[in-house]
Parts: sequence; C-alpha cells; structure tokens
Amino acid sequence: MSDLDLPAWSEPFVGERGGLDRLAPLGCIDRAWAFGGVDGSGVTVAVIDSGVERAHPAVGGRLVESVCVEPGDDEPIVVDDPEAIDVVGHGTACAGIIHGLAPGADIISVRVLGPDNRGRGAIFAAGLEWAISHGAAVVNLSLSSKSEAMFGTFHDLADRAYFANVLLVCAANNVPAPSFPSLFASVISVAAHDVADPWTWFYNPRPPVEFGAYGVDVPVAWKGGARLVATGNSFAAPHIAGLAALIRAKHPAATPFEVKAILAATATGARPEG
Amino acid sequence: MGERALELLGAIALRAETARRLESGGARAVLSSVVEATVALFEAEAASIALYDAATDRLVFEVAAGEHGQGVIGVSIGIDQGIAGFVFTTGQALALSDVASDPRFGRTVAEQTAYVPRSLIAVPLVDERGTIGVLEVLDKHSQEAFSLRDIELAAVFARQAAVAISASRVERDVASLLRASLADLTPSDASPAAATIDELVAAATAGLDREDDSHLWGLVEQVARVRRADPDALELVTDLLEALARQSERASRTRRRSRAGSGRARDR
Repeated sequence: MSDLDLPAWSEPFVGERGGLDRLAPLGCIDRAWAFGGVDGSGVTVAVIDSGVERAHPAVGGRLVESVCVEPGDDEPIVVDDPEAIDVVGHGTACAGIIHGLAPGADIISVRVLGPDNRGRGAIFAAGLEWAISHGAAVVNLSLSSKSEAMFGTFHDLADRAYFANVLLVCAANNVPAPSFPSLFASVISVAAHDVADPWTWFYNPRPPVEFGAYGVDVPVAWKGGARLVATGNSFAAPHIAGLAALIRAKHPAATPFEVKAILAATATGARPEG
Repeated sequence: MGERALELLGAIALRAETARRLESGGARAVLSSVVEATVALFEAEAASIALYDAATDRLVFEVAAGEHGQGVIGVSIGIDQGIAGFVFTTGQALALSDVASDPRFGRTVAEQTAYVPRSLIAVPLVDERGTIGVLEVLDKHSQEAFSLRDIELAAVFARQAAVAISASRVERDVASLLRASLADLTPSDASPAAATIDELVAAATAGLDREDDSHLWGLVEQVARVRRADPDALELVTDLLEALARQSERASRTRRRSRAGSGRARDR
C-alpha cells in the first residue's frame, strides 16, 4: 500500500507526535502574556469562503461586512453582498470557530464560490486581494487554488499580505498537488489534530505545514442555522485564525512573523500525557 | 465555410464522438470498480463519483455503488451547490457527521440524492489539470463518523479514479474541441464572431445524438466492452462477427438473385 505514503500533513500531530519536541516551548512567554485578558476586540478577521450567514447564532452578530466576488467580463469584480448568505455552510462553520475563540473580533465575509467555473483561481485571488486592502488583520483561507498558472499571482499576494502586516492562515491540502497559497513560507499553514479542544494546538518544525489545530469531529455551525460535526483541515485553520486574532488584539504591533513565533512558543507540549 | 469543409468537420465530429464513447466506457469501468472498492473497504452505505461537465458547468454523478447509491446516478448539481460543489471548487477534502440529526441540513442533501446520510466524506479528484470531480462516501456501517485517516484513504481512491480518467481521456467534449480548434485556426485580427463559430460547431455536431444513429452508438458501446474482454472471448466475438458478416453477404446475394429471377415461379 505504498499509495498511502501521501503527504499526510496531519500525521505529525496525531498519535505519538514524535517529531515535535526538538525544542521546549520558549519559556519566557506564555499564553497569559500572548493573549490573556483579550477577546479579539479591535481586530478584523476576513473569512474567504462560501459566505457567512449573518444571522447564525454561532457568529454572534460580529459579521460587519459581506462581499462576493463575481467573474465579471474581463476580470473578477467584488460586489456588496448585503444579504450575507452562505451558499454551502462551510464559511459559516469557519466564522463560528473564529468567533468561539475571539468573540470580540469583527468578521468580514468574502464569498468566492460562484456558479461560473471559469477563472476560479482568479476569483479566489481577487477575494484575497480585496481582503488584504480592506482592513483585515487576519485572513482565514480554508481553501486553495490548484492552478499552476496562479502560482505567481498568489505568491505576489502572499508577499503583499506579509508586507501589509496581514496574516494569512491557510488550511493545508491533503491532495498531492500544488496548493496555493497554503504552501508558501509567509503564510501559516494548518492541518488537523484529533484532540477535542480548541485551545490545543501544536507547532511542527518541519514545514510546509507548521501548525496542527482541532480539526477532527469539530461541532460547527452550518448553512440555514444548522449545526453539525465536521472533520478536515478546513476546520483546523480557523482555530489558528482565532488565536492569531487574540494575539493581534493584545499585541497590535506584532508582525505576521512575530505572531507565528508567538503561536509556536505557546503551542501545546507535544507528547501525549502519561 | 464551404459545404465540403462542413462535411469534413462533421466527419471529424463523428470520429471524435466515437472515440470518446469507446474510451469513456473504459474509464467508467474503472470508476465503477473504484466506488465498489470504496464501499467494500469503508463498509459504507454508498459511494459515488461526480465529474465536472464543462459543457454545462455542472457536476454530474457518473457512477455509484452501495445499497443507497444508485439513486444519484445521472443527477447533476451546480458547482456552487452543496458539499460536492464546495469540495470541487475549493479542492478541500472534508467529512461531516451528525448530518441527519439536523433536518435543516438533511433536506438540502436529500433534494439532490434521495438519501440522507448520517455522515459523509467528500474528497476532490485531482489530475494534472486541476480538480475534475468529487468522490463521496456515505455512512460507515461500523462507526458514527469518519476519521481523518478515512479522508486520506478516500483521497487515495480518488487519486486512482483521477488517474484512470486522465489515462483514458480523449477530449471529453467534442463540441468544445471543435470550438477551440476553430478559434485557434482563425487569425486573431480576422476572428469571426463567437456566434459564427458556435453556428459552425452546431452544424458539425448536429445529429450526433440522433435517434437513427442509436444502432451505431450501441455497436460502439459493444466494441468498447469487447476491448476489455479476455483473448478467448475476443476470438469468439471475432468469429461471431465474421459469421454474421458472411450471413448478411449471403442474404444480400439472395436478395439480388431473387430480384433478378423475379419472373420465375417460386414453387418447385
């Protein structure tokens, strides 16, 4: 079964977690310093996804803006989405997770799923570009583009985000194919672990996927006011996005690289207890 | 464009369509075995594969296995709809459970598949061109939910399916192939209106689905099946076809003779 030798991004974070303890968590800072006493107030998190349902209780009324990217004639255009719908449920799930960790953070929804398949990567890119230039401090991307043609575009956007002090948190992809921007060095790439605790996250010193967060059997919000239980890297990323929002609320001057370092320093000890 | 050119285009379209039907039979057989293996391995209620259809910009459920799988074959959904649409457009694999316990969710799935699962996995089918479809697995008998490992395992099956499709891919859509080649052939400064190309394509592909050609497509389908037969069966089929051909030749000779001798008394 050599076919099972896939890039199993979650493997370092489940079971023995053998490779994670090459260095003790940095002792000089702890979670109380990193985000104690804040709830994310003053920080805006953009959710680039299937939309966010404004009325869903899990979002706690924190959705402050909702836009939608449409294909357009020549290039994608970003339009207002005053109704704030979620066409799938996935974006609401992500927003609900972020709100659960950072209840004071404002959420912006950028819906990038359209009925038109042409230029899907371009639609993602347009949504990301919009989020970078509209005040988001953290951007959650529980999706990625597989198009090699979009490599340059996403690389440029990842750099622009980094230099504009915008932190991109991306779900890793389990499919052995290019996946942008989740495999770029400047973003935080996240896979799932199976400890049922939003406050448990691991740091993995072997890139490209550096963080593991709660992503197995996560109770999430869904379209139509529903709730269900979901598994996937998609649901791990917003946990890190929520934590990043807390860190940015407590330390507004921290850069994306510093936020990443703080997340690594305050990560859960690697070995299972006992 | 002259009548002769259109005739040629029509001939190209017919051959491309024949090739497409010959090949898709092979891919379909592999896809069927992938979903059957998926159902067996996961001990699942159902598994299905939906493929992207460029002509309609929709996902079409092509094959399914399992007790509750069959109802979904032929169903098409928008690529911005439901779990399959999300996984297709984002390439993000996921598993959901406790689905049926929330009727608000169940209804939207049931509208499409006539079966509401308790739990499901959806993983993208990815080849070198990008995401081409979605593999879904519904309801494990043994457990309430699917694990992370299950998602990875399903991804392995999805990869087999994607490889099978890539390996056997003839241009899936004859009309889009013609459209693309016509657009490429025309110098860009003298590019005809898209509508003109559309008209030409429509004329060339007209009648590919005509009812009176159904015998031909039936034969193509049989030939596609025969290609996968073992050598003995293949020999038998060849013998049968030869016998049939001899018989039809004899029949036509007899008809000619009987026309030639129509004045002669039939009775001996």
